[in-house]
Amino acid sequence: MKSSHHVPASDGAAVPPKSGRKHLFLWFMGLMEKRLPLYLGAILLSSCGAAFARIANAWIVESVITSAQNRDAEGLFLRVGLQFAAFVFGWWMWRVGIVRYNIEGRRGIARLEKLVLSKALRLPFSYYEDHHSGDFISKLIYDTERAGDIYSSRFRRLSSAVISTVVYLIPMFCYSSSLTLCLLAISMFSFLGNTLFLKPMKTSGGALAAGNGKLLEHLTNMLSGLETVKMFPVGEMLLQMFSRANEECFKAQKKTNLLGAGLESLNSFLDLMGALAFLGLGVWFAAAGRISLGELTALYTLYGSFRYVFLDIGRYLPQMMNCLANVENLYDFLQLPEEPQQYDMPAESSERGRSQADQAGAEKEQESSRAWAVRMEHIDFGYQKERKIFSDFTLRIPEGKCVAVAGESGCGKSTLAKLLLGFYAPEGGYIEICGMNRRNSTLRQMRRMIAYVPQEPYLFEVTIAENIAYGLADSGRKVTMEEIILAARTANAHEFIQKLPQGYQTIPGERGNTLSGGERQRIAIARAVLKNAPILLLDEATSALDNESERLINEALDRLRAGRTTIMIAHRSSALALADEVVRILV
Amino acid sequence: MVKKARGLFWRASIRYVFLLGISVILAVLLNGIVIAGNDRVAQAADRIFAGQAVDMGKLLVGLSGLAVWGAVFSFGKSLSAGHYSALVSRRVRKQLGEHLLKLPCACFDERGAGGVLTRFSSDIGEAGRFYSEILPDLLVNLVTVVMVTGYFTRMDGRLILILFASYPVMLVVADKLSKKLARIAKGFRTRMDDRTEAAYDLIQGIEILRSYNLEETADRRIGTVIDDIADHGCKSTRISSMGWLLKGVLTTVPEVVCYLFALYEVLGGRITTGEMLSFAVLLGRVIYPIGDIVFCANDIRTAGVAMERLERLFNRPTEEEERLSACDFGGKTETYDSAEKGRNGDREETAISWSGVKFSYELGNPVLKGASFCIRKGETAAFVGGSGEGKSTIFKILCGLYTKEEGEYLLYGRRIEDWDIQAARDCFSIVSQNVFLFPESIFWNVACGKPGVSRKEAEEACRAARIHDFIAGLPEGYDTLVGERGVKISGGERQRISIARAFLKNAPIILLDEPTSAVDTGTEQEIQEAVSRIAAGKTVIVIAHRLSTVKSADRIYVLQDGHAAESGTHKELLRKKGIYANLYGKEVEENEKQSPCTGI
Repeated sequence: MKSSHHVPASDGAAVPPKSGRKHLFLWFMGLMEKRLPLYLGAILLSSCGAAFARIANAWIVESVITSAQNRDAEGLFLRVGLQFAAFVFGWWMWRVGIVRYNIEGRRGIARLEKLVLSKALRLPFSYYEDHHSGDFISKLIYDTERAGDIYSSRFRRLSSAVISTVVYLIPMFCYSSSLTLCLLAISMFSFLGNTLFLKPMKTSGGALAAGNGKLLEHLTNMLSGLETVKMFPVGEMLLQMFSRANEECFKAQKKTNLLGAGLESLNSFLDLMGALAFLGLGVWFAAAGRISLGELTALYTLYGSFRYVFLDIGRYLPQMMNCLANVENLYDFLQLPEEPQQYDMPAESSERGRSQADQAGAEKEQESSRAWAVRMEHIDFGYQKERKIFSDFTLRIPEGKCVAVAGESGCGKSTLAKLLLGFYAPEGGYIEICGMNRRNSTLRQMRRMIAYVPQEPYLFEVTIAENIAYGLADSGRKVTMEEIILAARTANAHEFIQKLPQGYQTIPGERGNTLSGGERQRIAIARAVLKNAPILLLDEATSALDNESERLINEALDRLRAGRTTIMIAHRSSALALADEVVRILV
Repeated sequence: MVKKARGLFWRASIRYVFLLGISVILAVLLNGIVIAGNDRVAQAADRIFAGQAVDMGKLLVGLSGLAVWGAVFSFGKSLSAGHYSALVSRRVRKQLGEHLLKLPCACFDERGAGGVLTRFSSDIGEAGRFYSEILPDLLVNLVTVVMVTGYFTRMDGRLILILFASYPVMLVVADKLSKKLARIAKGFRTRMDDRTEAAYDLIQGIEILRSYNLEETADRRIGTVIDDIADHGCKSTRISSMGWLLKGVLTTVPEVVCYLFALYEVLGGRITTGEMLSFAVLLGRVIYPIGDIVFCANDIRTAGVAMERLERLFNRPTEEEERLSACDFGGKTETYDSAEKGRNGDREETAISWSGVKFSYELGNPVLKGASFCIRKGETAAFVGGSGEGKSTIFKILCGLYTKEEGEYLLYGRRIEDWDIQAARDCFSIVSQNVFLFPESIFWNVACGKPGVSRKEAEEACRAARIHDFIAGLPEGYDTLVGERGVKISGGERQRISIARAFLKNAPIILLDEPTSAVDTGTEQEIQEAVSRIAAGKTVIVIAHRLSTVKSADRIYVLQDGHAAESGTHKELLRKKGIYANLYGKEVEENEKQSPCTGI
């Protein structure tokens, strides 16, 4: 579905340069902002600490072997004792670093998650209607978790490998520069071999992620429609679809395994060859008297660690690349346009209509904007280009009146509510709410004017008290319990809420399962009561209810309507009875 | 049916254990190569230091050959371990998927679908890691340690003693730490669930969130959960890093002691320098695996948390099991008798009979407190009553989506417990505005009623349900995809799709939920027409909100306070001057107040 309203390009949280792995990576690290130096410092400290501990370990070996070769153990214990102390100190440094690093890493992840989820709540409304919300959320969370891995492990592993490599090389060169150079050359080979795997690893990682997403999507369907699944013999069909997705996942995993095995095989071959080369060279050097046996062993011990971390670079680089694929997804997601603060003026196609409307508006603005609660002038709108819902639609609602909007199903009654709430921008025409329009006010300001009770009242998974208090959340002040109870009383909800085992602290189950439709409706009305906005917008507020609930709700609405402009999106004739005026929308 | 043996993972992991075996055998071979290579090197070194000549060419060729074999074994080892993990994960996912579909609907009310979903994906990932990394590593490490220590024993048995002397300490430390970490891991997972659920919740309520400017409130709510996760993570690192530190130190102590002991042996002339060199090299290979073995308890426990959570989900009794455990087998034959009697008695007459049915969604808050009624074949019965009186609950219990707690429910004279649940559900078609539409094509959703149905037949049903024109008018007709929870399909359209489904399903009992509300008059007529077509010759049960729509019902039940307080035809009930008469009076009064519409 293509929504054709106009949204300005997003300003974004931080405008990163165009894609490209390096830029992507820099952008991602940049998200840490001030914390980055501390984070990097902690990695440096921990890596150096660990490397230093290993070097101390090599010293110990050197001392012992030298003693063995010289058949002389004098002063050995003191030396080994000091070296051991150095070793413990190295580990302690490591720990200090690693704890700090983890704190910073976790904070980084928290920042990232907040950034992403907060973005997820600020997309244009059409996004939510066009996307499978389960898929969209689980994909987002999967991507943030994988990208967060870079902060919490992948980056440290890689950078620590690089740092350790450098730190190990220092004593190695001290022992024997020519031997170390030879070893370095051999290691280079293995490193290059490893880089060959980078690209295929990234591709297969992406396939695996896609497979997982698909699997979750099928599962969401199965669970959301469980009652339907039980009533119709569709379980088999769904299971087949699920199995197919499972098989895809398995295939992707198999491919990843094959690559991983190839990589490991290559590494163990090079590992053995490296040891072999070391042996040949070392024995030759030792025979020539250029290095002592003790030094050779120490060098070998260090080389063991060195080779390991050096190969780690090759091992961890693909893993990080895999995660960068997720970073890319997040980056793209964060680049999506948000709902703008104010909608742009309509495009040229409707320029004429708009200027007419604006002229007309400007003329009357002075004297009449006060009197009209809502003015919709010459509205053009459709979700799809081919299916226009409104063209040149005009509606004016005077202040203090109660207006019912009626019409056949599919004629655009609910769309009218969405337009008034600014969920969509009209393609042409002009909307003014309490004298506010898109030129002089933000969407948020305009929404403050409307208390909305939707068709299917949604209750959040927080306590009933909080659900009601959300009506005033925008005001920035704390809502007292008295106010909440007063609102609930006005909405005829107090009585049943009190009867609940946990009263106002009850958390409605997912989709408000434990409350009946009428009860949810009344809580939604209490929320609207608390908001105390000049316009009340009800979408099919009285549908699907029995007489008693409807009576309670109508009573509540009567109280709520007093002194307000009310717009009722009505579907049944009984609802029309309450209105001062009825607007019929014709298809 | 026998209650299934527990242990989803256990059975899956046993099933493919041969792959793990292959992996271990290859690991043994790989280690053999390392030891053989090392042995040759030690011998060569001894000869060199003794001043003897060594054929370097031969040695190098031999070692290269070993390296090639090493690569082959390593490839096989890694591949078989990876394949093992993939197979286990696939099987577990499949079984869990099948199991989830069989769970009773009531399972998903308390915890919500969000928890189930994260559980499924991230826990399987975590458990998969156990099979792909932790378990093979553990086994390979064990093999390495056993083989290398065996090699050492050939040198000097006492070395082993020293090597393992400090491990008891390590075991105790690791055990303590891992227990703590497992607890934290558990809390961590729960918090992750909370975050996912919060995000899901907020997106679901985006309409309210937008119109009430709740963005900042939502940010705060999510922020609190996320910060909590971060704090928890930091706590976990503090403990685990302490573990790593101890591991580093504790593994090195025996290493140093071993070196010193070997030195003592060399000085005493009991082993050669070459042997000591080989010892030093191999010691490095065995010291770390030992530490890993001990400390992988952490990883195992963390993975254990994930597996336990999945097992718990898997062990939730399915609908079938719940029903079996609910009926007592002693009374079964007797019930059959009574069912038989019932059949003989009013076999032709009764479709459904309830007596004293009780039900509650949550403890201490009963919805039905002993509902009794009897519906004859072919008649139209209606339930009226206030919201929360359990009208929809009755439908759910009728279809066996929820299980009554007490009382008797006979469907065609047989106890519901004695029915095959699927066969019982085949008796019902639900027509409602709240039907769930799968995010698949419209055709798929209509064909739900009779899988494998042809396009023509589905279109026929849609025509009869008066929804064909609407569908045909969509950009892609019957292939149009339905958005999540069918956002773009209105209540009236859903109602008609559910009617089309009912046409295809052709069940003997039709459950009509609020058939005429929330649609305008034109649509209402169309729906009425469609409904009367499917209802012809069937038993119909209606949940009504507008009393005017049920006047013609054969019998009306008025629900109040958890049971059917009044019953009878419209006229009878009016004569009674009870609850119904009162409600009806109010409705008429309200309708009279209705003023004529004025257009603008």
